[in-house]
Amino acid sequence: MFLTRSEYDRGVNTFSPEGRLFQVEYAMEAIKLGSTAVGIQTAEGVVLAVEKRLSSPLLEPNSVEKLVEIDEHVGCAMSGLIADARTMIEHARVEAQNHRFTFDEAMPVESLTQATCDLALRFGEGVEEDEDKEEEMMSRPFGVSLLIAGVDDKGPALFYTDPSGTYIRWLAKAIGAGAEGAQSALQEAYYKSMTLKEAETLALRTLREVVEEKVESNNVEVAAVRTDTKKFVIYTEAEVKECLSRLENRDSQ
Amino acid sequence: MWNASVVAVPATESIQRPDFMPYQNNGGTVVAIGGEDYCIVSATTRLGLGFAIPTRNVCRYSILNNRVVLATAGMFADTVTLHKVIKARVKIYEEQQDKPFELRSAAQLLSNTLYYRRFFPYYTFNVLGGLDEDGQGFVYGFDAIGSGEKVKVVCNGTGQALIQPILDNQVERKQQYENKQITNLSLEEALDLVKDVFTSAGERDIYTGDAVDICIITKQRGVFVETFQLKQD
Amino acid sequence: MELHISSSATKAENFSSAQLFVDPTRHTTAPLVTGGSVVGIKCSDGVVIAADTLASYGSLARFQNFSRLMKVTDSCMLGGGGEVSDFQEIQRLLENLITKDFCFNDEHIQTPRSVHQYLGRVLYAQRSRLNPLWNSLLVGGYAASQSFLGVVDLYGTTFESEVLATGFGVLLGLPLLRKAYRPDLSINEGIKIVEDVFRVLFYRDARSINRIQVATATSAGVTISEPYSLETKWDFEGFVNPRSTYDESTW
Repeated sequence: MFLTRSEYDRGVNTFSPEGRLFQVEYAMEAIKLGSTAVGIQTAEGVVLAVEKRLSSPLLEPNSVEKLVEIDEHVGCAMSGLIADARTMIEHARVEAQNHRFTFDEAMPVESLTQATCDLALRFGEGVEEDEDKEEEMMSRPFGVSLLIAGVDDKGPALFYTDPSGTYIRWLAKAIGAGAEGAQSALQEAYYKSMTLKEAETLALRTLREVVEEKVESNNVEVAAVRTDTKKFVIYTEAEVKECLSRLENRDSQ
Repeated sequence: MWNASVVAVPATESIQRPDFMPYQNNGGTVVAIGGEDYCIVSATTRLGLGFAIPTRNVCRYSILNNRVVLATAGMFADTVTLHKVIKARVKIYEEQQDKPFELRSAAQLLSNTLYYRRFFPYYTFNVLGGLDEDGQGFVYGFDAIGSGEKVKVVCNGTGQALIQPILDNQVERKQQYENKQITNLSLEEALDLVKDVFTSAGERDIYTGDAVDICIITKQRGVFVETFQLKQD
Repeated sequence: MELHISSSATKAENFSSAQLFVDPTRHTTAPLVTGGSVVGIKCSDGVVIAADTLASYGSLARFQNFSRLMKVTDSCMLGGGGEVSDFQEIQRLLENLITKDFCFNDEHIQTPRSVHQYLGRVLYAQRSRLNPLWNSLLVGGYAASQSFLGVVDLYGTTFESEVLATGFGVLLGLPLLRKAYRPDLSINEGIKIVEDVFRVLFYRDARSINRIQVATATSAGVTISEPYSLETKWDFEGFVNPRSTYDESTW
């Protein structure tokens, strides 16, 4: 299937005659290799959960970080090339702080998502930058997808971004290797009046269904932005354990 | 003019002609009062220059949205420029963020905009008034380089020294002979007070006179502007 | 006047030392050749602006037939005082602006209001570079059945009014204009008023001349008159014998 795409899949800025940007599509493929991450929005807040692939028992689980804070009211889960995500998140953090500096308020989640995506297709020539700044330019699309979760004046929000720079709002969304299975699982189980606790268990249950290894407190990360506190919090291992035991109790019922 | 000072010059040094002074004082007074559910922002319309009055009717305020108003005294060219800059930023904000611009955001933006020009300031003395997130009236007063604070009542401009103490006394009930009960002024009382202090300042400050534009901000009516005539002398 | 120049200085060095005083690249920090007041008044069916035809070199009445009025578009006119070379630069800027609009051939033309705003930004930008265009400008016009009269100064101050004056005209002319102003003035009445103002200016402003030009903007377009002289009367008792009117104590 890939063989037929010759000639038009080299330049990042070249459309194929069918109107496709193969490098961007390939970048989307990169995400399908990434670890699975899910995000669920409820009225009480947004939950994010990711699997950590612990390829060796010698690996220090704490050093695998796939849930990060962008600002105190916004967090992010990632899948794909994590190094690329760092670039985008660094940009997002600067945007969020710049907004606070200029306007003395938290940046709305959608604008922050938009600002993050502004980086996505800035490769190639002809990008206007400060001449003396010499900002390094990306030479390929970012091979990463993000789930951006936050709470602002309009309430909780969950956004999904892809390598083309498109962002879409979801109620529940899965990305990464197990995205397909996870998404259908979410679609089946999600309901709008879900509580935050129910969302936590649903997120972990979904991961458990699609992840190869057994889901344990050290190989998943969970975080949430609560609507009442408007704060992004990454769960401690004990809190994750608590969520998992809740899931198991539910199973045994 | 400059050659009058040509006497002996070291070959290495040049004679400085008098430098161009890029500032002008056009005077003007601005007053803002924040009440329980209203805010008043007012600005005089006289444009003064030395002992002359080149015009009696300029606009020193900008309605940023239906709950925030900015008013500025000082150099008029800087005032116009500053207002253009702030209005453009507010417009961009409201398009990008898809929500109204809050009073405290306006205060932060104004402070940053002024301080950005710390070493070539806008020669402007600003007050910012409006309703905050809770619908309460509040005002901010700023100096030319962006220092400011959130208060209930403030005056800026050439009439400041004449008006501020009266506002402190009448609105904040400060420096009163008897410690009277603090009573919140109603909109009508505040409006009368504003008219009185401008009338009084107009008696003694040559840069305050002609008329005062009074913006009344309420949740129900948004921004409503009325003009109060002052003496033309 | 003795310059301290080392004795070994060559003629060229000598010259460059002298250049310290008249550096051609220096900003305009003081005007040299200057025009005086410009005055303007709105009328019911148009606008009148006027200027005398003198360009002074300090106290010398250097150029006595210099036009300080310009037709910008068919609906917009400009009058300028202050540094003459800067005024000519402004005229060039406006000609470029108008020429560009013409070349686009898209029927867009500058309105008096846009010309006024444009000049305001240009003069403000220049003053912010500490390199001002040393002028006071009056922009008048009649577009979309509306009169326009605005002023711009070297600081970039811009405002509009029914009556406007620059320079000495602010002190001597504005009070007369304010007194004479009515919303229903005809153009001819307006012309009469500005002539009176220039007569007064000629009597008292030493940097003025009794030769003026009057420009009008009406629905018929902009017309700038040929320069003409104002009738003056010098046999006022106060002029003949200033002591008789206690005039000796005034400025």
